[in-house]
Amino acid sequence: MSEQFPSPAYPEPVLQGSGEERVLNRANVLKLGAATGFGVAAGLAARSTPAVASSSIRAPRAVPAAVAPIPGVLDLYINEGYTKMVDDSLVYQRGFGDRPSNLGDKNPSLRIVPKIFGRDGSVTESRSYPLGAVKPVAGTPLPAGPDPANPGQYFIRRNYWASYFPQRTIIAETGSKIRIRVFNRLAGTHELTFAQTGHGRVDVGTGPIAPGAEALLEFDAPYPGTYIYHDPTNAPVQRVLGLFGALVVLDPEDAWRVSPGQAGFERQWLWITHAICTTWTGIEAAGGTVDQDKDPAVPRYFMLNDRSGYEALGHSLNKATNLAAHEESLVSGYPRQIDIRDFGEDLTLGTIRAGQMVRLVNAGIAYHQIHFHGNHLWTVRRNNVEWPREFGKVDEDGHVALQQWEDVVELPPMDRKDCMIPMKRPPDATDKVWYARTEDWGYPMHCHAEMSQTAAGGLYPGGLVAHWELKAPLTES
Amino acid sequence: MNTPFWESYSTTELRGTSRSPAVSEKTKREAKAKQDREAKAKREREAKAKHEREAKAKQDREAKAKREREAKAKAKQDREAKAKREREAKAKQEREAKAKREREAKAKRDDKDRKPRHSGTPRSSATPTPPTPTRSATPSTSAPATSTAPTAEPTRSTSPTSTRSPGDDDGQPRDYDSQADFSSHQMQQGTPETEHWQEPNYSVSLDVSNRDLRFPDGEEFRMWVFDSEESGRGFPGPTLRPKEGEIFHAYVEPSMGPHTIHWHGMEPDPRNDGVGHTSFEIDDHYTYQWQAEPGRAGNPNYGAAGTYFYHCHVNTPLHAQMGLLGPLVVDPVVLADFPVNAGNRRAFADGPEYDIETESLIMPFSIDRRWHNLGHAAGLSGEDVGLNRFEPTHFYITGGLLNSRREREGAVWAPTELPVNVIGNGKAPTLMRVLDGNYLPNKLTFYHPDGSPARIAELISHDGRPFRHSSSQYGVAIPTSMHEDPKAHLFTHMLSMGAAERYDILMHPPVSGIYILRMEWNNWITGVPVGRKELRLVAS
Repeated sequence: MSEQFPSPAYPEPVLQGSGEERVLNRANVLKLGAATGFGVAAGLAARSTPAVASSSIRAPRAVPAAVAPIPGVLDLYINEGYTKMVDDSLVYQRGFGDRPSNLGDKNPSLRIVPKIFGRDGSVTESRSYPLGAVKPVAGTPLPAGPDPANPGQYFIRRNYWASYFPQRTIIAETGSKIRIRVFNRLAGTHELTFAQTGHGRVDVGTGPIAPGAEALLEFDAPYPGTYIYHDPTNAPVQRVLGLFGALVVLDPEDAWRVSPGQAGFERQWLWITHAICTTWTGIEAAGGTVDQDKDPAVPRYFMLNDRSGYEALGHSLNKATNLAAHEESLVSGYPRQIDIRDFGEDLTLGTIRAGQMVRLVNAGIAYHQIHFHGNHLWTVRRNNVEWPREFGKVDEDGHVALQQWEDVVELPPMDRKDCMIPMKRPPDATDKVWYARTEDWGYPMHCHAEMSQTAAGGLYPGGLVAHWELKAPLTES
Repeated sequence: MNTPFWESYSTTELRGTSRSPAVSEKTKREAKAKQDREAKAKREREAKAKHEREAKAKQDREAKAKREREAKAKAKQDREAKAKREREAKAKQEREAKAKREREAKAKRDDKDRKPRHSGTPRSSATPTPPTPTRSATPSTSAPATSTAPTAEPTRSTSPTSTRSPGDDDGQPRDYDSQADFSSHQMQQGTPETEHWQEPNYSVSLDVSNRDLRFPDGEEFRMWVFDSEESGRGFPGPTLRPKEGEIFHAYVEPSMGPHTIHWHGMEPDPRNDGVGHTSFEIDDHYTYQWQAEPGRAGNPNYGAAGTYFYHCHVNTPLHAQMGLLGPLVVDPVVLADFPVNAGNRRAFADGPEYDIETESLIMPFSIDRRWHNLGHAAGLSGEDVGLNRFEPTHFYITGGLLNSRREREGAVWAPTELPVNVIGNGKAPTLMRVLDGNYLPNKLTFYHPDGSPARIAELISHDGRPFRHSSSQYGVAIPTSMHEDPKAHLFTHMLSMGAAERYDILMHPPVSGIYILRMEWNNWITGVPVGRKELRLVAS
């Protein structure tokens, strides 16, 4: 294995740059056919390429190579390759990538750089949204100014800062159409499904895509919220193999709220959790099919936005990885006075008394227990259903549906929750300590299902971790 | 002294065959009486001697314990005095060093500013720059104008700009060249300082010990436990119970390698949060300090009263499973508008009253015996010790009545059954605090003995925060448990919860009798039940 991958490299994050936002405006180019027919437009046919050099038990096959892009359509390539884990071991993974890549590639394309489906029919590649909004340096939004009534705290800018999103993100503006072309470059049958995005919360997907074939999918952007896309084949095996991502639907005219009329926020974070079972990846890498009864999953690596342990915490020697972790995962901001009864207060023009929104997504297979130190979180939605602010209930599974404070947020597989971290003064710090504060205060976030805190059977805290920080008081320059 | 009775008789008397039957009978009676007297005297002597021995032993034990307590107290006093001296010396040193740095920095700035006019004549400033945050006098009243925004860049104390090299291990944040480097070099400090130390209202001294403990099913496991001077080594650790507003101190001197204590759900500054990579692990000793935030009536933004726990945050999967955790309950301040009746307490400042005598805490806990043979730092250097595989075979409902817990050496705190007040029995309702000390998803269900669900549980708080109605902007956020509309109350017969969550449950059994609390443990991947225990609730 090491001979095949002399320089295993962690896929470098695509950082902010002048060429980052590649806009393909559908209006300027080939007009697509009807929704059901646009996939057969000229020039879309798969082209044959030599089969990848792979395990001898894999059947030789024709795999689609890169094709001419169609404006307004996102191309996804189902690829395979080896990914470096936090303990430097290489693990076989599959993924929905941006470009065709082969098993032996040093840097396979297994997850997309975030893409945005605009109302105008465009597909734009951008790590941040809203487009044109100011990008926070290293992920930290600066405040509008000091809050004189609350020493050490700040006014927060309203509708101002862009948010960074991790790889695998698809953003769709409400009113847009999601158009995706999927190329299956693997030896087995796969498919792409967007869970609960159809009317009545049904799944919308391509159906099975034969090896070497392609499929087209078009549907209207659903209700604002957070959704999971994945390959449901032999579920949850293909998710463990890496065939998943997240769809975030936002109202572009009200882009700083999780949905119209709901909680406003300073910036938002998308946290996609994931777990890898190397027994399953090994079976599939060798061309087999996982029998879940015979080989039950035993996850060995646990990720948040595809990073674990010290890399997730931005403590590696790789500055690009650290910066990406800070921009995409490590919640950061200035302390503010908020009242959870109203996240939209606007006493001072251009400011908001709100925290930062964390969209928790479990695309993995383990029951996670997301624990924040330093601040309780205010949970507002589960699976895109708003929890009421009054007259809640205990549902048939024994979960409370009512907006509430939590320091541990349950996150079963395929669940999504929207939680506001208030970024407030840690309530149990003494006055003396708080008022003498001169440094950033950093707090951990970790999963309390403690097995997820490991990598390769040990290496605590090498698993599903992050941290968040309250920035130190600003000084005049 | 203790002559055997037979030695007082001659051989012929003993034989007895040459005497008349009457004489012989009399002799026998007398001998028997004497024998009884002697035996009684002997028993009395032995009892007295035993009593004297025990009294002496008790006296010795007490004297020894007193000496040990005094020695320990003196040692603690000495340590604290020493720590205080060290704190003061360090603080002074740091103040001086800081002042010096600031003087030098200012001198440098002054020098730079003056250079065009005053070539090469640096002057130092006598006044250090105060470290207080700056505040503009007037908040912005216009759109987010750049003129009011601070122009300073945010500070960044760690990555991604950290340039310190791998290998440094002096308790300061740095970047790492591998996960093994990070895992095995968490920041450790010998005697970190409790900054801005205040006189405590509530203090406890905790050590870390190990011993074999026998669980209710007779199984014995090697456990690591927190113990105080009074608690003995038992499981879970001693119950800690400060009040809102009190300065809380926990002096921790772990005797089994570096440890920390994280006060789960309490939210102090990072130094008192008990996590190695955001503050430090304790090599020698440290006094944690925090102050639980007082509650305010009808305000959802304040108040800490509720159920919490504390646990070690070093190699946490292992250390918490080994037993390094204990219950922490924060009691509320008493507000004028919310007086409390005798024998009762409120769950939170503006919450419902409950009966102190029947207040309970239960904690599901499960054990994977394989883990209990591992060492303190197992897996940290990169060896695969299987900490991703938690496969418990033993399941327990631990806890019991809080008011009558007797912490003692070797005890595993676990109930056989729990009393619960029936509605209308003249007492306030019973409060049951549920703390999930387990790693697997749990399902808790209340049943009648015939197996039908019993909807007797009202959920009033989660993770130390009351459920409230929060729809009224700046209006009273009334707790669901205090709402006049019964539909507002969160009644259930079933509760799903997972690792580290807490729920406070007010019990409302309508009639006396037996109810069953069933606890299920589920596989954390498949959700399939893997364990089950039941507990009788006796309602009267």
